[in-house]
Amino acid sequence: MTSSGGDDGREGAHSYGGAAGPEALAPLRVVAILGDRAEAGWHRRLHAIEHAGAVEIVEVPAADLRRHRFRARSMCGREVIVDLPRDVFLFDGAVLYAEPDLALVLRVEAEIWLRLHPLDAAAALELGYHAGNLHWRVRFDGDDLLVAAETKAADYLARVAPLLDEGRVRHVG
Amino acid sequence: MTVHDLNGARGAARVGIGGPVGSGKTALLEALLPCLLARGVNVAVITNDLVTHEDAERLRRSGIIAPERVLAVEAGACPHTVIREDPTLNIEAADRLDRSFPGLELILIESGGDNLASTFSLDLVDYWLFVIDVAGGDDIPRKRGPGVLRCDVLVINKTDLAPHVGVDLDRMFAEARAVRDGRIVVGTSCRHGRGVETVADLLCHDVLFRDMSHPDVPIRDAAAELTRAETS
Ligand SMILES: Nc1nc2c(ncn2[C@@H]2O[C@H](COP(=O)(O)OP(=O)(O)OP(=O)(O)O)[C@@H](O)[C@H]2O)c(=O)[nH]1
Ligand SMILES: [Mg+2]
Repeated sequence: MTSSGGDDGREGAHSYGGAAGPEALAPLRVVAILGDRAEAGWHRRLHAIEHAGAVEIVEVPAADLRRHRFRARSMCGREVIVDLPRDVFLFDGAVLYAEPDLALVLRVEAEIWLRLHPLDAAAALELGYHAGNLHWRVRFDGDDLLVAAETKAADYLARVAPLLDEGRVRHVG
Repeated sequence: MTVHDLNGARGAARVGIGGPVGSGKTALLEALLPCLLARGVNVAVITNDLVTHEDAERLRRSGIIAPERVLAVEAGACPHTVIREDPTLNIEAADRLDRSFPGLELILIESGGDNLASTFSLDLVDYWLFVIDVAGGDDIPRKRGPGVLRCDVLVINKTDLAPHVGVDLDRMFAEARAVRDGRIVVGTSCRHGRGVETVADLLCHDVLFRDMSHPDVPIRDAAAELTRAETS
């Protein structure tokens, strides 16, 4: 759901705890997604605001895109309270706030994908079994299995350590 | 029906409480609800049991919360399925609570007791706690269960039992923080109401966006203080 008018996403001049020092930027509460940075109209509008150096990026991990309520910080340190309706989902490039003096745009943090290469079909079967059993989010790329690392890479590699130790699966990146 | 029919636009915040069998999920609800009600939070509860309504009945009988604000969802054979793979039943129950109680701010969803692998789908909840307990052994955090690693808040309950079960609380908390990359860990003794205000602070701050009960104390430090107190 997007809208470009009406609700501007800012709600009152609340002051929230945990501000980052005396010069902390005013917190913003985001209650709607205004548009998509990739749309031509928004691209132009943001470009104009960018000239004033006033576009702030809010980076969130891909795993958090399905959240509707959380606190984040823009890369300038501004506290951003995301408080969206349940049928509104964040996406890379979502415009969260846009005024001539300030815009907030969401960016999805680059995801880490582990690339695992099974040496033969037997190893591939076994690796596939573990990935399913562990509810890993995966992609296939030729002979490799890509695994989304939502926590530390070591947490994932440890689960298939016997395969790695025996050299039947290689962690290639 | 669209979500816009639910309490204006947003509906209540939905918070999951998961964790192994008997770790104290219902005990946490019993201790937490009075704290939240005292702060004026408009709250309701959904419990998940395998094939009974045991926990829902226990809460309804407790007198802590109006009985009609407690719904039970039967999880059947598989408690994690209804919070992760297919949370439809819980989503429907939550939608029902939103419709029944205008102004509802918070729905707490207790998962049926499961194992360390259980996690909540973000389609169901905005935020989730995972409750483990001291009597389960101080090696539990080291076992790196997905529930322990991924939850928003790890609650280590039954700190009062540490001396009786030979658990080194300092080490247990340190290891829990380490496997969670420093993310928040709170110690509680629900039996004695200890640490529960901190859990209420976290919910009020992180999902209800309210001011804290003690505005002078930054919330993260408050939790650290508490776990230090619990471990000393
Ligand atoms: N000593 C002590 N006992 C506790 C504490 N919290 C809970 N208990 C006891 O632990 C037992 C299990 O507590 P519950 O709250 O029923 O646990 P649960 O996680 O809801 O259990 P299931 O829903 O069956 O998975 C009960 O006998 C509680 O009285 C605590 O902080 N200290
Ligand atoms: Mg219970």
